[in-house]
Amino acid sequence: MNVCVFIPTAAEPWPENATLYQPLKEDQILLSDCASSLAVQAYLRMCGLPVQVVCRANAEYMSPSGKIPFIHVGNQVVSELGPIVQFTKAKGHSLSDGLDDVQRAEMKAYMELVNNMLLTAELFIQWCDDATAAEISRPRYSSPYSWPLNNILAYQKQWEVRRKMNAIGWGGKTLEQVYEDVSQCCQALSQRLGTQPYFFSKQPTELDALVFGHLFTIITTRLTSGELAERIKGFSNLLSFCRRIEQTYFEDKTKNTKLSKFV
Amino acid sequence: ALSELHFNMLHIDGLGRTKEDLLTYEIADVFRAKSLIDVMKKSHEARQKLLRLGIFRKVEVLIDTSRGEGALPNGLDVTFEVTELRRLTGSYNTMVGNNEGSMVLGLKLPNALGRAEKLTFQFSYGTKETSYGLSFFKPQPGNFEPFPSICTNQTLKWEGVWRELGCLARTPSFAIRKESGHTLKSSLSHAMVIDTRNSSILPRRGGLLRIHQELAGFTGGDVSFLKEDFEIQLNKSLFWDSVLSASLWSGLVLPIGDKPTSIADRFYLGGPTSIRGFSMYSVGPQSEGDYLGGEAYWAGGLHLYTPLPFRPAKGGFGDLFRTHFFLNAGNLCNLNYGEGPKAHLKKLAECVRWSYGLGVLLRLGNIARLELNYCIPMGVQSGDRICDGVQFGAGIRFL
Repeated sequence: MNVCVFIPTAAEPWPENATLYQPLKEDQILLSDCASSLAVQAYLRMCGLPVQVVCRANAEYMSPSGKIPFIHVGNQVVSELGPIVQFTKAKGHSLSDGLDDVQRAEMKAYMELVNNMLLTAELFIQWCDDATAAEISRPRYSSPYSWPLNNILAYQKQWEVRRKMNAIGWGGKTLEQVYEDVSQCCQALSQRLGTQPYFFSKQPTELDALVFGHLFTIITTRLTSGELAERIKGFSNLLSFCRRIEQTYFEDKTKNTKLSKFV
Repeated sequence: ALSELHFNMLHIDGLGRTKEDLLTYEIADVFRAKSLIDVMKKSHEARQKLLRLGIFRKVEVLIDTSRGEGALPNGLDVTFEVTELRRLTGSYNTMVGNNEGSMVLGLKLPNALGRAEKLTFQFSYGTKETSYGLSFFKPQPGNFEPFPSICTNQTLKWEGVWRELGCLARTPSFAIRKESGHTLKSSLSHAMVIDTRNSSILPRRGGLLRIHQELAGFTGGDVSFLKEDFEIQLNKSLFWDSVLSASLWSGLVLPIGDKPTSIADRFYLGGPTSIRGFSMYSVGPQSEGDYLGGEAYWAGGLHLYTPLPFRPAKGGFGDLFRTHFFLNAGNLCNLNYGEGPKAHLKKLAECVRWSYGLGVLLRLGNIARLELNYCIPMGVQSGDRICDGVQFGAGIRFL
């Protein structure tokens, strides 16, 4: 009798010293980067892959794509959630294997929504709102550098983001319109989530990690105006979704960012 | 009667923004002249000194007998007529260096505050490196008493440099990746040069001593270090028109504070202008084939220069060529503080890289030289990249 055994290709196992790089947590990192980094951390925890978080002032420049976060695994460097998901899949770890094609397409669509709406809104508020840019974004972004380089780099980043906003048609939006867009995005997410624990029933997928990363960061970050956080808090199932993921996967995180403090 | 002179007047005409006290130092010697011939000689020397300041386009000397009211018998009037350089000059150059080409735009204020201070701004855009530089240079009258007859030169310089480091390769080593980003260096540097050679490219006699220190971080900026480097070269003519030359280079960079040194501030070793027989900057600490430089180094060279065998085209073109036999050696390492200077010296003495060989040189003007050598590298450590056999080099400063 022949027995056919499928042996997965000998990919290198996940090393102990895998590292995730992001800007300095206390003084430098901004809302959008923090959200993206938390999304990747949540995803890796959901996969059961250990990763050490290292903060470096030049993390943005170290990244091969210029975006945060990036991970250093073995001798490979991968940045941003999309490529990181592909990378872990190649190593045999995946959260969306159980989905059929329709569900997978749906998942991709919702991830696009989060990136196009939530992430863009975060960038808009950080850099296109003059008050936030002057009080929070520019001082934090430039904090590791000395004069006059700090001012030059901060303004350079601001111009770059504003140019990008103009290119995608957000240049003329007001803050109110952006808050509305965020509300609508959360409405769509809330409806899809319903009363389920995760977006695709029992098991979390990369979509859950992405949504958690952004919503949790927005709720727990102090901006010049608390309006954005309030809009999200209006959706109770999203709040309990965030709390659930925090309690399941981030029990060891420090107490002062615990969700219960803000609800 | 001619031997007894009185100075009536010493004029300087044509001064605009230049301060007089700067010039009185340079022309003070003229007052010590005892005879007419002496006056002419010292005036000529003073004219050279004024031109060397780099702030005048033209300097003319006029010596005449005193005239007019209050004129003394045997009195002389010496007039220096100077034409100052324009307040702001611009320049545009293209440069070809080691496997890289660049375009350099410069703006210079040659006499910024009236005492021959030079303020230059330079923008360089190249195939490998883009840089902006602002430098301020204030000359000191080289009043170095112990060596009155030797040509000394001291310079004090402040430099502000914005550096952006990025990875050129798609997959650089992580050690290189960690150095990416922006840094601002604000440093004060002092250099002292004593040069008694008859030429800077293929000297036949004399020596060179150059001591340079740089202190970064105390006038702002992101990087803090103290850098020392020195260069010494001795030349001696031997029989049959040959020259024996020995040189030694050494340097040290000490970071101040807890940040480690940046890759842009460390020393590199190896290459046709340094230890021949090794690839460019390919000696010392490295990570996955990318060289990281070192915080301390020494390098020495011993050369025997001879004219081309059988002296073809003697007296003409052939004089631009030389053959040389060389011996180069050196080492580069990082400093692991807490081990003390003795341990570092020991490390620099271990695993010395060296090479020997011979080659042909071509002198280009009085600034550069080309070399084609056959090199045999020795003492190669794992990680070094060698270039044994034929190696070509072009540059202005060779070991």
